[in-house]
Amino acid sequence: MSITTYIPLPIAIPLVVAAFLAFTGKWIGRRACDTLAIACAAGNLFLTLAILRGVWSQPYVYWFGNWWPRPGGVALGICFSIDAIGASLALLTSILTTAGLVFSWWIFEETENHFQPLMLIFMAAMCGFSYTGDLFNLFVFFELMSVSAFALCGLKTVEPAPLQGAYNFAIVNTVGAFMIVIGIGLLYARTGALNLAQVGRSLGSTRADSLVLLAFLLIAVGYLTKAAIVPFHFWLADAHAVAPSPVCVLFSGVMVELGIYAVARIYWTIFSGPLAAHVGALREILLLLAALCAVVGALMCFAEHHLKRLLAFSTISHAGLTLAGVGLLTSKALGGFVIYVLSHGAIKGGLFLCAGIVAHRLKRIGEDHLHGRGRGMWFTAALFILGAFGLAGILPFGTLLGESMISDAARDFQQGWFQYVFVFAEILTAGAVLRASFRIFFGWGDPAPTDESSRVEEGPETSEPHNKTPITMLFPAAALVVLGIAICFWPQLRSTADGAAQTFVNQPGYEDMVLDNTSMAVPAKPPEESLAGSILRSSIAGSLALALALGSVFRKRLPALSFTRSLEMGNRALRTLHSGHPGDYVAWQSLGTAAIGGLFAWFLR
Amino acid sequence: MILNYLAYGVAAWVFLWGLYGIVTSKNLVHQVVCLAILQTSTYVLLLAIGFKVGGTAPIFADIPVGAPVVDPLVQALMLTDVVVEGTVMALLLSMVVKANEVAGTVDPEELRIMMG
Amino acid sequence: MSGRTRTILFLISAAGLAAVFAWGLRNLPPMGDYRGPYGYVLTRVAVYERHATDTVNAINYDYRGFDTLGEEFILFASVLGVLLLFRPGGREDKSKKRVQLEDALPVSDTLRVGMQAMAATMIVFGVYIAVHGQLTPGGGFQGGVILATVPLVVYLSGNVKTFEAIVSNPLTTLAECGGAGGYGIIGLLALLGGAHFLTNFVPLGKTGDVFSSGTIAVISVTVGIEVAGGFLVLMQSYLREIIEERLQEGR
Repeated sequence: MSITTYIPLPIAIPLVVAAFLAFTGKWIGRRACDTLAIACAAGNLFLTLAILRGVWSQPYVYWFGNWWPRPGGVALGICFSIDAIGASLALLTSILTTAGLVFSWWIFEETENHFQPLMLIFMAAMCGFSYTGDLFNLFVFFELMSVSAFALCGLKTVEPAPLQGAYNFAIVNTVGAFMIVIGIGLLYARTGALNLAQVGRSLGSTRADSLVLLAFLLIAVGYLTKAAIVPFHFWLADAHAVAPSPVCVLFSGVMVELGIYAVARIYWTIFSGPLAAHVGALREILLLLAALCAVVGALMCFAEHHLKRLLAFSTISHAGLTLAGVGLLTSKALGGFVIYVLSHGAIKGGLFLCAGIVAHRLKRIGEDHLHGRGRGMWFTAALFILGAFGLAGILPFGTLLGESMISDAARDFQQGWFQYVFVFAEILTAGAVLRASFRIFFGWGDPAPTDESSRVEEGPETSEPHNKTPITMLFPAAALVVLGIAICFWPQLRSTADGAAQTFVNQPGYEDMVLDNTSMAVPAKPPEESLAGSILRSSIAGSLALALALGSVFRKRLPALSFTRSLEMGNRALRTLHSGHPGDYVAWQSLGTAAIGGLFAWFLR
Repeated sequence: MILNYLAYGVAAWVFLWGLYGIVTSKNLVHQVVCLAILQTSTYVLLLAIGFKVGGTAPIFADIPVGAPVVDPLVQALMLTDVVVEGTVMALLLSMVVKANEVAGTVDPEELRIMMG
Repeated sequence: MSGRTRTILFLISAAGLAAVFAWGLRNLPPMGDYRGPYGYVLTRVAVYERHATDTVNAINYDYRGFDTLGEEFILFASVLGVLLLFRPGGREDKSKKRVQLEDALPVSDTLRVGMQAMAATMIVFGVYIAVHGQLTPGGGFQGGVILATVPLVVYLSGNVKTFEAIVSNPLTTLAECGGAGGYGIIGLLALLGGAHFLTNFVPLGKTGDVFSSGTIAVISVTVGIEVAGGFLVLMQSYLREIIEERLQEGR
């Protein structure tokens, strides 16, 4: 079978299997449903792997319904234009879904088997999102991804907190989705096309006027809402605090990063020509946004004591860092973005699964209640600490390579200050996870200060207590953390990623490939730069994170360490802003859109 | 000239009112309905973009191919949008009903369990 | 934030948004002539290439059929989500007798007679709309919604047993899941012939016939079945949930 037959399968097969499972779920029993779902997800893993191998050097275009474009470059049908970056994100989706489904083998006793079909639909939507080459199709998969996410988030309906989380998630993301539709309408009004390549060719390199800028603003803001960039990020912490752990793995591991991928996609296929005159100004706006996001996320992360909310804020912080990978608007940074997303996704997935193990064994999720109760769970403790160092980006983790490419690119454009944002975010997020693990698994120091949100307790996901962590929970967590390490050892990874990114940013080549059926030029792989600077920075970040964690835990021993207490309590004003009220969140969303719109109107006209 | 852009202005106006409704709402059901109002602004915009003066519906059962018709594509996009909106509203409203059952309130102020 | 602060913050951002919209929207082409090749090419070729006189449905089910597959699964996922939210279990008193729908049904004579007459008409109308999707405005989604309201009309006419029988029948769930899966399978069948996913492989027939335009008609009917099933399942969940709640409050 050639690659042509494989391509629709990662989307079509999970959808059909999900429909089948939804119907027969009542009759075939829990175990059969689980097995079928895991088999389907594993099958997707192999399919996406095969597709990745097929598009490794040359991207592939697939037209649905045999609707090849008309002469003159008019695309009537929908196409998938698959390149290495999109294919690797789809592979990450399949890996994380399989891990999540295996993890959920022993939990969720009473969902009437609706959980597995929703996970399969979620996976299919994310794979389709990474592959598509059509503007409206991107939106449809975005909505499919969102609706299954809303449903999965509100799974545990016995308490009111999951409903608050799912509802806030739904309202904020849906407002973002409507902005995307308006942006698509505006682009259609100007160009009369919906295919990414055709829109790009139609806009050409004519300088962007206010309509094109407004379209870019709306579409980017919509996708950045999904990507949880400050000030559109408020929904993420609420949603993660209540969603079940396998679902959080998918949210933080790949769904958030896909929002940033979408911004990169539409920029490099449509807007890089019209905005070419203002690349410098746009770069600075995006970097500022990324830095704000990384800093706010890191500060809130250290101030949280609910394990999953802590990890959620670290996702927000790292999403800011990956936005810099895209916001630097260059292929080297984009290559760094891909490596960072892949390794961060695996590591964060592993950390969420460990948090799930803690909730499963100890029936609690707040750092204060769990003090010292994790003694004896040495394997989970080891994974947690490894994951924390992965967040800090030290040597054997793939995040190091990603950070080095983004920092090198930042220095190339005189934005070297961003390296220190990386270090700051890494210290605080890794420090928070280390602090939590020292308190929970070793019982060092005094119990953590109680805060409002850690009082939201995780209802037990099963009814009987378990005294041993089942292998179906340990194995996926360990596998994901190991994957985060293994990525670092892929030979020549940075040049490969840079080469793939160069294909991604080649707008004229992309248009010709999609509309005129030519092949894209294979770029030369650039030489790899030295890792020494990154290794130094990340080692400093890792050691400072360790020091911060130890200092927080043992702060009573030394009066000089009292500053850690104020770090842990968090900035009062910042915490009040995260109020849990959906009206607040949408108000900040509007303010963010208006502010970024103002910046665009002033600097990019 | 103003008539040419009136529809676009209406779309923007409805969008902003929908947002205002969501932000200042004191009842979750009201908030969800404001979200639906927000969506109708996208319909107005799309259909205005596809309009053709003197054009009729793009159904060729009784008119010859080549007669002036309005744009069929925005109508297809809008059909997709309507289904998406209907289903998202259904899901949101069921969350509200469940929240009322579990927490006894539909006021977003009182439902803020997670904060900070 | 207090309500007042929130409103002020929003009014500032609304002013900013309004300014940004005005600045951007003034460069839209004036209303009255749509631009671009996509719409024009489609209105010229859809009738000849697919023997379908309704261009909108030709786009929905053929040219951009993949989008409609996604949209149908959005409906499916929402229904699953509502079923998940309203699932039994987790309620405080599981031992309570399962609620009978008769317990909360108001009926007047006008309603009873009128609804029975309407039910028959609506079935015919719904099927007509769904089957003629490729010829006239309408199609699967619209026809499915009309068909879904038929059991509700039957319920309103006082005939609760029939309503119960229709919505609890496994055929309803089969309709919903089969419709959704069926769309995917139609797409996959095209792969067997070596073509790309969702290619129109059924003979196209004569323009203007009911059985024309190949898979457009088939997909339209499939979607109609799915939408009808989905809405029925939704209606059943909502009715049970709300009636149970009312009864718990009442007693």
